[in-house]
Amino acid sequence: MFKHIVVALIVAVLFSANAEAGGSVLVMNSSAASLSVIDIDSQTEISRIPVLREPHHWTLTPDNRELLVGDTVANEMLFLDPVTFAVRRRLPISDPYQLGFSPDGKFLVVTALARAQVDIYEAGSYKLVKRFALKSMPSHLDFSPDSAMVFISLQGTDRLAAIDLRKMALAWDMPVGRAPAGVIWHNGKVLVANMGSDDVAIVDPRDGRVTERLKIGKGAHTLFRSPDGRQLWVNARIDSTATVLDPKTLKPVRTYKLPGGPDDLVFAPDGKVWFTLRFAHKVAVLDPTSGNFTTIAVGRSPHGIYLNPLGRATK
Amino acid sequence: MDLVAGWVQESLLLPALYAAGLMEWEDIAFGWALFAVYGAVQVALTFAVCLPLERWRPVERWPDAAAVWVDVLYTFIARVGLLPLVTFVLFYRLQTALNGALTDQGWVPPTLERLIPVLFGHPILTFVLYVVILDFAEYWRHRLSHVFTWWYSLHALHHAQRQMTFWSDDRNHLIDDVIGFAFATAIALLIGIPPLQFPLLVLVLRFLESLSHANVRLRFGWLGERLLVSPRFHRAHHGVTAAGLVSVNYGAVLPWWDMIFGTADFSREFVTTGDPTAEEALATGGFFVQQWVGLRRMLRG
Repeated sequence: MFKHIVVALIVAVLFSANAEAGGSVLVMNSSAASLSVIDIDSQTEISRIPVLREPHHWTLTPDNRELLVGDTVANEMLFLDPVTFAVRRRLPISDPYQLGFSPDGKFLVVTALARAQVDIYEAGSYKLVKRFALKSMPSHLDFSPDSAMVFISLQGTDRLAAIDLRKMALAWDMPVGRAPAGVIWHNGKVLVANMGSDDVAIVDPRDGRVTERLKIGKGAHTLFRSPDGRQLWVNARIDSTATVLDPKTLKPVRTYKLPGGPDDLVFAPDGKVWFTLRFAHKVAVLDPTSGNFTTIAVGRSPHGIYLNPLGRATK
Repeated sequence: MDLVAGWVQESLLLPALYAAGLMEWEDIAFGWALFAVYGAVQVALTFAVCLPLERWRPVERWPDAAAVWVDVLYTFIARVGLLPLVTFVLFYRLQTALNGALTDQGWVPPTLERLIPVLFGHPILTFVLYVVILDFAEYWRHRLSHVFTWWYSLHALHHAQRQMTFWSDDRNHLIDDVIGFAFATAIALLIGIPPLQFPLLVLVLRFLESLSHANVRLRFGWLGERLLVSPRFHRAHHGVTAAGLVSVNYGAVLPWWDMIFGTADFSREFVTTGDPTAEEALATGGFFVQQWVGLRRMLRG
């Protein structure tokens, strides 16, 4: 009898250790006013957190202690515990769509796509430092590593804008291609995925000139760098593909077909890549080696996705 | 339905937007796809339920029901095609522009939940409250459309129908619809409107509005008719003696506002519908003729 109890206890401890090690994933269901919490080990949605309107994207505070999720239509920023996903506080902020902290941790930059404005907040106090009216549809953003510049795609006017964060002034605003979306700083250049065409534009960050175009696939949308820096991923919405680029040559290495509108993605410690599938209302978990993927049903129009390997998902 | 909307978005809308060079609208297009698909299901559901009811216990039988066909067209325009598109392009743009202008002045428009914090985390309760508020607003919008002569000149198109069926709910002059959208925009600015969160419940509410116009002898009982607008209750509003600047039973889903503000009339049985003062074209004309006559009538005052 005693032996059985000991075995049961060991199994329970191991199980709970695995659950913690596996971590959890948070999905922003943009048309369902909710956040789905998924347990990585069991690959099941274990809870759904209600929010007000349209959660789209997230960022971590520079100290990694808070997870910010923007709810655009509600004009609200949610501050979550990045491990348990408990909502700690809410802050009224105008139309927070994409958001990111400058690498030096001084500023939070928020694009308001629907309101054609970009807001620069002081990190920590979240006081508005400067508002830029940028036409139109300011969408994705990324920073130069020295925090001097932030680059913002203007989806509605086919342009990329650069804001000088030291002078708090618009540095330039240049055409880059039809309906630009994803932006990423890469090896001294800025890469911009153009949704309205089939390419990624390589832009000189000094003046905004397009120096080269990479053919990717129709509806190129988002750009991500793998944690080890060995891969660049580009998702295309019309072709429903995810393409891996060699970061040195920027040549396509492999393309995965992911029906359902692959949008944002996140890299898991086990090497798998998690995607939101906007139109299938699912998350795809791709094994890049085999190319196989499984899907998990979530809320309507899942957009942003965050993974915490240490996250202890609770029901 | 969500999956169908997703398929419409991915397989039809996105390639069309891409081909037309309009990919910047791809996010909003999903909202349109969702509303259009739910709208199509609304029409199918309403048809599947109301048509047998109308065949089973009709209030009236018409040898020639040709005037009904234009109402079918109005329904498809309102629920599947034009109006959802207007909602997610014009309405969305207008709302965000107004919100943006207010935000520029340092005022972030609130949501109902921020005004009443206890609603946080209770989406269904919140939605019920939204329904009550929006139905209250709709009562007054509708009542005012009977007060002003110019406005009733447009609204007369809705009342002119003598062959009222479940298709008649969306029979409105387009300018009247635009005014309705402006009204909704004003409310959205005050409390926010979250229809995309609850498409299924919106579907049920729209079904009830269609049912209230059905050509069916259907009562909800003494209590039921005081909780929800029934076909008998709403038919009294469409009666020939209730057309014009003074009417009764303005409520869309809830009869409570009529009861509170003294405009409820539960006594009328299944009356004859129509507006004897309206031009014949408003009753039996085609879509464009009705739109033109309604406009002319409004301009003449």
